[in-house]
Amino acid sequence: MLSPERLALPDYEYLAQRHVLTYMEDAVCQLLENKEDISQYGVARFFTEYFNSVCQGTHILFREFSFIQATPHNRASFLRAFWKCFRTVGKNGDLLTMREYHCLLQLLCPDFPLELTQKAARIVLMDDAMDCLMSFSDFLFAFQIQFYYSEFLESVAAIYQDLLAGKNPNTVIVPTSSSGQHRQRPPLGEASMLEGVEASQFSQCLENLCDRHKYSCPPPALVKEVLSNVQRLTFYGFLVALSKHHGINQALGALPDKGDLMHDPAMDEELERLVVRSRLHRTSRQHRAEEPGAFGFQRRDKLEAPESMPSASASSPYPYRWEPRE
Amino acid sequence: MIPGKYRSVSGRAANNVEFKLNKETPSFSGRLLQHDLERNYSSRQGDHITLASSSMPSFPILQRSSEEKILYSDRLTLERQKLTVCPIIDGEEHLRLLNFQHNFITRIQNISNLQRLIFLDLYDNQIEEISGLSTLRSLRVLLLGKNRIKKISNLENLKSLDVLDLHGNQITKIENVGHLCDLRVLNLARNLLSHVDNLSGLDSLTELNLRHNQITFVRDVDNLPCLQRLFLSFNNISTFESVCCLADSSSLSDITFDGNPIAQESWYKHTILQNMTQLRQLDMKRVTEEERRMASVAAKKEEEKKRESHKQSLLKEKKRLTINNVARKWDLQQHRISSIAPNQDRKVSDCPQDPSQLRGSTVSAFPEETGSLDSGLTSALQGLSVTDTHLVEVDGDTLSLYGSGALESLDRNWSVQTAGMVTTVSFTFIEFDEIVQVLPKLKIKFPNSLHLKFKETNLVMLQQFNALAQLRRVDQLTVDPQGNPVVNFTLWKYYVLFRLSHFSMQKINGTEVTQNDMIMAERLFGILAHVASSELPQYRLISILGDARKKQFRYLLETKGKKPGLVNEENSDSKRLVGENTNRATLNYTTRDFYNERLEEIKEKKKFCKMYMEDLVKEATEINMKNEALQKLWPQMFIELVRDAVIEIRNKNSYMKLCLQQITDQK
Repeated sequence: MLSPERLALPDYEYLAQRHVLTYMEDAVCQLLENKEDISQYGVARFFTEYFNSVCQGTHILFREFSFIQATPHNRASFLRAFWKCFRTVGKNGDLLTMREYHCLLQLLCPDFPLELTQKAARIVLMDDAMDCLMSFSDFLFAFQIQFYYSEFLESVAAIYQDLLAGKNPNTVIVPTSSSGQHRQRPPLGEASMLEGVEASQFSQCLENLCDRHKYSCPPPALVKEVLSNVQRLTFYGFLVALSKHHGINQALGALPDKGDLMHDPAMDEELERLVVRSRLHRTSRQHRAEEPGAFGFQRRDKLEAPESMPSASASSPYPYRWEPRE
Repeated sequence: MIPGKYRSVSGRAANNVEFKLNKETPSFSGRLLQHDLERNYSSRQGDHITLASSSMPSFPILQRSSEEKILYSDRLTLERQKLTVCPIIDGEEHLRLLNFQHNFITRIQNISNLQRLIFLDLYDNQIEEISGLSTLRSLRVLLLGKNRIKKISNLENLKSLDVLDLHGNQITKIENVGHLCDLRVLNLARNLLSHVDNLSGLDSLTELNLRHNQITFVRDVDNLPCLQRLFLSFNNISTFESVCCLADSSSLSDITFDGNPIAQESWYKHTILQNMTQLRQLDMKRVTEEERRMASVAAKKEEEKKRESHKQSLLKEKKRLTINNVARKWDLQQHRISSIAPNQDRKVSDCPQDPSQLRGSTVSAFPEETGSLDSGLTSALQGLSVTDTHLVEVDGDTLSLYGSGALESLDRNWSVQTAGMVTTVSFTFIEFDEIVQVLPKLKIKFPNSLHLKFKETNLVMLQQFNALAQLRRVDQLTVDPQGNPVVNFTLWKYYVLFRLSHFSMQKINGTEVTQNDMIMAERLFGILAHVASSELPQYRLISILGDARKKQFRYLLETKGKKPGLVNEENSDSKRLVGENTNRATLNYTTRDFYNERLEEIKEKKKFCKMYMEDLVKEATEINMKNEALQKLWPQMFIELVRDAVIEIRNKNSYMKLCLQQITDQK
């Protein structure tokens, strides 16, 4: 805790890097909004709950987009929440359109912007036939890259355009052997053979970018690794490679590996319980349907006891723990 | 051919053969009074007629014995003589009655000399053309029934004609009878007439028989001043308009229409009786007073019904126009939204074909014309409010709303009976966000609404279905693909079933909901519910649920007439809100406008928080700085402190003196 680097930073910078202020401001704001309700059980408890939820990654549920986007931790939490809630959709094998995924996103964040989803879809579909169906895992990983590193990707896009436009006079468009390219990514088609930029140049620029900018970018080493395997690549090819790279995924720490994507025993257990309960619920309701009430309606069931709140320190039994990113 | 026994030696003049004439020729005046002249003639044969051949090769010459001539000087019967031509009748210039019935005569000839003829009977022959009558100026009865006459002609000189019988011919048109001003009976039954006109001039006509033709319309009858009996049975009359001239004929007292299509109509009798009050007999039956009275009553009712159906069809037309108008405005509105604010998520997928149409004017004032409520209509199928911009219609158990202006009608005072009967509510051409705002009103005013239908309501997000959870109960949901892009999503039905599971819905878009569907819905979204309830911190739960309740209060307060009953309603409803599956109660839908409004409201707070935090941070950093500065300076300070102390104490004696002095100084 008392590491020397920590003390080396000036005050504001330190706070900014850890986004402490963001959370504090948000906490106070939430407090103000719900004054009456919170005053009932005490401000201290509120702050405890708030920061616990921040740690657990549940603070972003049903919040506005500006908050979700505010810090990398928020973004990662949001990704994880999305995965958790809609893993079942993926498990079911449904292929959905971009708009439908957007709808699902909106269930968790009502004002999530469409452009982000569109950009994510473009990565999956290689900017082609935007109405195509996508699988859950494809979309999720692409969305992760797009959302978590959005600013980084914008800069990369700018760099790519510059390189394409021939800012560097050394760019020579020469069709090269396709084997290298296709190893990493799905086939790109004839035209893209002539498109794209030289990987090494690109890599150089990206390194500079990572050094220059403070906001989150993928670990430079891994980026270099991605770029070192190929001669040339297109922008979307690069993004696809990023999205499928396990190392980057793990570095991000939000989602499990692709192989484990559909596994979440804790939630599955919970789900089974819910399904059983709904089945019982339904049959019992049907039994009670014999007696119509006023207006000919069925009698309302008794109030269900709300789900018990987990204690603040409950840890997930699932082996893949959610750890806040350093 | 002339039968053998009567044939004379060829070429010579006739010899005298006795013959008797038919004694039983009925008087023709009696005959005339009967109805159907066809049946009058008894089939008789004239016996003992001598028909000698004349000098002209084809015409036989007829001669009678002088006894006969004296006995029956004015009548001659040549029935069933198998005549093919009219014989020349010599020396009978006083003849007044001539009977050629049942022969095979093809032309009327050789009778021009019989200028005293009054009665000429050519029934049942093969005559194809009326001719050879121009000298018979005294002719009063002309019977040409059952021939092959195609045209009425050559009757110009028969101005004294009293009875003209042309039944059973092939006449297609009534013509050339206008000069027969003494004609009293005209029989044109069993011809090929398709219409009746050209009757002017028949000033004495009393009876007109037109049975068994193909008549479709009748004209000119009102020009017959004496017409009493008109027989139109077995024709092709189907409307009263086609015989409307009959109403103007004041002399008409007896009419028949049986066998016409018009007689099969339900309104036949009373229409005829109503329009022809002078009538005494209809279809051979006397018209009673009772019938007349009933006819006028029925006619009035008919009129009423016609007016009513006219009004109905006008109303229907107006409704259709209104709906078209609403549809058009809706389209414009959709294009307008998408052209002006392209970065809004809520875009219609069938997007602008022609955004250049709208020049970006943001003023939305569609002129609202206050429609006049047509209070005269009763409560079965009607539009209760029809204006140009929206339409509200209650049709038994369905309440249909077209256009956003229609939502205001929910504020109206609906009779308990009407409101209680409504089980289906249909929304068309209304933004779903606007519908969401009136759902609480709907719940109160139409408590029995179980089936909701949405068409062209811009349902684009799954989240919007969350709004339906606040209703009491929904049994069926129909979301028309037209204008509702959400239907294109694969998972929409499951989401609806999941979110509205407490309704135990029976049908979605017409298909039954099975147990498997419910389980699948639960499987797909169950974790979402779990996360939404158990993983949310307590204060979030309360704030979200609290929000929902606050919103409901706000909507309810906006309705007119805050009755105390409403508040109780709200309490029980809020309990029910918690009573539904709690774990998904936090899944709410805020319309975009409200959401943005709330975000705006929060901005102030956020600003304040930011400032507050900044102050805190400033304070903290200051303290931190001071702390750090202290940390840096402390070693030096410490050393100096120690050094000063050591220097002071170096000389014990002088230090003691200093201390004592300090103490005395203090005093």
